[in-house]
Amino acid sequence: MPTVDIDPDELRELTGREEKSDDELKDDLFGLGLEFEGLTEDGEFELEFAPDRLDRLSVEGVARSMRYQYGDARGVHVPSPNSAEWTIEVDESVPDERPYVTGAVIRDVNLDEDALDSLIQLQEKLHATMGRKRAKGAIGIHDLTMLKGGDALRASENASGDEPRAGSATEGASTIQYVGVEPDGDRFVPLDSDEEMTPATVLETHQTGQTYADLVSGYDRYPAIYDDIGLFSFPPVINGRRTEVSTESRDLFVEMTGTDQWTIDKMLNIVCYALSARGATIEDVTIAYPDHELVRPDLSTKTKTVAHSRIETILGIDLDPDEVIDLAERSGLEATKSEDGETDDESTITPLEDRDGLEERGAAEGSETSQTTDGTASSGALVYDVTIPPYRVDVLHPLDVIDDLGRAYGFNDLEPTYPDVGTVGGRHERSRLERAVRTQLVGLGFEDLLNFHMSNEEENYERLEIAPGSDAYGAGEPATIKEPYSEDYTILRTWLLPSLMMVLERNTHRSYPQHLSEIGFRAALDDSENTGVGESRHVGAVLANHDAGYEDAKARLQALARNFDVDLETPPTEHPAFISGRTASVVIDGEDVGIVGEIHPKALIEYDLEVPVAAFEFDLEALR
Amino acid sequence: MQLPAQQVAVLEAASADEAESVDALAAATDLPPETVTGAVFELEEVGLVAVAERVDETIALTDEGVEYADEQLPEVRLYEAALEAGGDSDPVQMGRVIGASGLEGPQVDIALSNYARKGYGVIDSGEITADPDADPSADAEANALETLSGADDAAVESVDVDADTLEELERRGLLERTESTVREVTLTERAVTELMAGLETAETVGQVTPELLTSGEWEDVEFAEYNVEADAETFEGGNVHVLRQMSERVKDVLVGMGFQEMDGPHADADFWINDCLFMPQDHPARTHWDRFALEQPSHIDELPEDLVERVERAHREGIGEDSEGYHSPWDEDFARALALRGHTTSLSTRYLSGEEIGEIEPPARYFSVEKAYRNDTLDATHLLEFYQIEGWVMAEDLSVRDLMGTFEEFYAQFGIEDIQFKPHYNPYTEPSFELFGTHPTTGELIEIGNSGIFREEMLDPLGVECDVMAWGLALERLAMLTTGAEDIRDLHGTLADLEFLRNAEVTY
Repeated sequence: MPTVDIDPDELRELTGREEKSDDELKDDLFGLGLEFEGLTEDGEFELEFAPDRLDRLSVEGVARSMRYQYGDARGVHVPSPNSAEWTIEVDESVPDERPYVTGAVIRDVNLDEDALDSLIQLQEKLHATMGRKRAKGAIGIHDLTMLKGGDALRASENASGDEPRAGSATEGASTIQYVGVEPDGDRFVPLDSDEEMTPATVLETHQTGQTYADLVSGYDRYPAIYDDIGLFSFPPVINGRRTEVSTESRDLFVEMTGTDQWTIDKMLNIVCYALSARGATIEDVTIAYPDHELVRPDLSTKTKTVAHSRIETILGIDLDPDEVIDLAERSGLEATKSEDGETDDESTITPLEDRDGLEERGAAEGSETSQTTDGTASSGALVYDVTIPPYRVDVLHPLDVIDDLGRAYGFNDLEPTYPDVGTVGGRHERSRLERAVRTQLVGLGFEDLLNFHMSNEEENYERLEIAPGSDAYGAGEPATIKEPYSEDYTILRTWLLPSLMMVLERNTHRSYPQHLSEIGFRAALDDSENTGVGESRHVGAVLANHDAGYEDAKARLQALARNFDVDLETPPTEHPAFISGRTASVVIDGEDVGIVGEIHPKALIEYDLEVPVAAFEFDLEALR
Repeated sequence: MQLPAQQVAVLEAASADEAESVDALAAATDLPPETVTGAVFELEEVGLVAVAERVDETIALTDEGVEYADEQLPEVRLYEAALEAGGDSDPVQMGRVIGASGLEGPQVDIALSNYARKGYGVIDSGEITADPDADPSADAEANALETLSGADDAAVESVDVDADTLEELERRGLLERTESTVREVTLTERAVTELMAGLETAETVGQVTPELLTSGEWEDVEFAEYNVEADAETFEGGNVHVLRQMSERVKDVLVGMGFQEMDGPHADADFWINDCLFMPQDHPARTHWDRFALEQPSHIDELPEDLVERVERAHREGIGEDSEGYHSPWDEDFARALALRGHTTSLSTRYLSGEEIGEIEPPARYFSVEKAYRNDTLDATHLLEFYQIEGWVMAEDLSVRDLMGTFEEFYAQFGIEDIQFKPHYNPYTEPSFELFGTHPTTGELIEIGNSGIFREEMLDPLGVECDVMAWGLALERLAMLTTGAEDIRDLHGTLADLEFLRNAEVTY
């Protein structure tokens, strides 16, 4: 799970709770689901968190949540941005693979070392989580004073060789351009470098460029952002050095590009909220797409309609409406009571149109229990309109609001109850058969084994001299692992004997006789299966001892056959892993289902064994 | 007087004038020494022999001692190398001397720690001197080694080495002392009288035979006594694998709680493993690094078309007007790709959808204890393949209190009390909880499972109209908690040590 580093002193400062000891803070953080993992080298808390509350990826967001937890803040707070002076113009040349951009201007930010570190961490953590390692969304933060707005005609020329377009920016406003450039179409000085390079060179030679090269290397044109001076950002790879942010920076330009507008807008909100908590002023930016315009950041709130009865059902307790409203405010939400009839019907009924029985259901339950399973309610019931602040990315459904209310209430304060619901338990037939056969095998003196299902071609085939896909028992074509990391685990085993031989090989220092058995999973390609993989269980056994022989194996096979009341025949056969003339097919109730015999000395040598081994293996289903 | 045959034999071999050792009597009577010892004790009991015990101490060189006897003590070799290097006049670089001496590994430390003690010279700041007056041929320890090298298991008294030197050699692990008790037997006067009067051999029987029983002779015989306290031969019967025993135990508990067992494919479409669970397709857990995707076969032939459509819509739009879905790409080809299941929740989605055994009506409880595959680093607590305990309860109007009550009951069966529920996040459950329990022996708080109520966006496309709560945990983790095993690899796989499996404590 991801971690975030938080300076406890900053946390005390931002929450206004100077009196809290480190241990108290740790307890309070655990209550938020942020688990203390240890101290960093700089004495910061390293906290592990579940990746839902991405608004808590920096000290500012964690402090905000704690203020709600302490009751020092209530309800929803939304900063009011100043109106836009800057425009990001999106050129037609922008690569199709990465069409979206968003942005904001941040003014009067006080970036001391701590605040800058926190901002950089927030950027990295957002990249790692919501940004899907920058593939879905990438953040660029620039020193605004280093940017020169204009209509950026030069960028267009460089970008695609198209006719320069007239700048579409509002009169008097400043414009930068998001464009696509040829890989060697322009040059700039990237961060951590003194050299001017083309985007293609950055991908080849710059360390950060190499790391993220895969994200854009398939593009015909690379994403680039220009101001009046020239190219200053090469998203999602690296910014230019010219606009690098430092502790001296007062005004910032934040831009984000990505494959989904919602995702980058939400990432932007989280950054804006963090900087606003540091006292900065947010200023809108106009995003001018070829066919429409957006004003960003989008700090509008969302509303979810949540049924009172559903809250009570999920939490298993009775609540007053005032209590619900209080819990919502303590979660940083705002809830207002509303009769279901007052809200738009469409928004409160689950669209189940493709499901049978909906109408009966609606009619039968009507006014009585009145809630549908999605947490909304049908007419007449008490519901809440709950306002969700713009930094929340995890509230997908009214149920998520109920989870917040439960957290604020304290889940651990709820009394557990055993559900008063009667059901009949039972085992799967396959699992009962497996258990019965295992009991028999142990009674026959076998040590029951549990081996890995994954193996490799050498172990599964070569060491016992069988060829994949040949007629030999066990030699089915394997299901193979795609791009395996370990050469030990590249296929699913097609039979059990190799696993048993490996255990014998590793235990030559242990006392004999070694009678080992396994009832285990194996698989091989099978076109008749929907998945293309035929999966089954085999019963495998080896008997290793100074006087082990065919009869020992056959005797035990006979015992199994007798106990399961099946008819066993063992007509002679040949198998590369077994001694010729001492090998038979296992034929149960007329079907050829396995093999029994003495292991060939060549194989014994291969496994470093100095005793004879008799073995059998057959399909578990044959005993059913 | 009647006595058992072996006692008669011992009495006849022993003498009243000269003490005879048990070994000597064994040789004389042609009986095994342990039989003679047994007979001697019984005779002593009835006052026919007197037994004197004495403890003999023998010494022998250890393998290391023999080695030094052959090629000199390390400190002597160091001294000779130091002399060679001119250390008798000026201090010389120690590294060079060690190199020249040919000492390696632990022998270097041994040489250094004994060097100064025995006055061969001084070691200081990485330099070494050799005292020209030292004389290796007068080294008592070296000489003792030479003396002892020919004499294996010699009696201490018989070797010409002083006690201090022996003690020093023993301290250095070059010598081993062995103590053995020698019993010497003399006849008492009574025995002499009885012998003169004549002894009869009583018949004793070793084995109950069919002949003995049918003839009725068993009534007249005496049964030879056994040493019933002695260890018997080691017997290796079969055992059910320890982890299987644990899995059986878990299954027993769950069946007792009203759960039905599920079964299904290990290699399955990502659709069943992840998409049906409302896991977004760009979720980090669905990337190559966590899963075992299959190369061949690569895709499932068929998925239920209408279900695919409903699942895709839930991902894109959510369920209900107030629901948003994910802002993530969704591609059917990706959903059809095959992988080894990363969790057995794929069984739950198959069962809940009605595809596996038809529509399931509430109330219902289902479980499985089956293998899941995860591309993790193999270490003491992680395996690439592990058994996941998976369970769910389907009913109208389930609450988190029901969830807590069910899991408290389950874990209590394994002695894990005081379950704590930490609010958590899973893409497919809300609310979600990580379960923590107190380790029965260490008292530590340990994560023992993950749980929650399945989301509407997951259940609705599957056609489930009531609540379902679910949980999962690794069987290996439960086994480690309840058996105290510390390395998961001891429990599972072809690295298994038979000794471990043979000696593992039974779980029930």
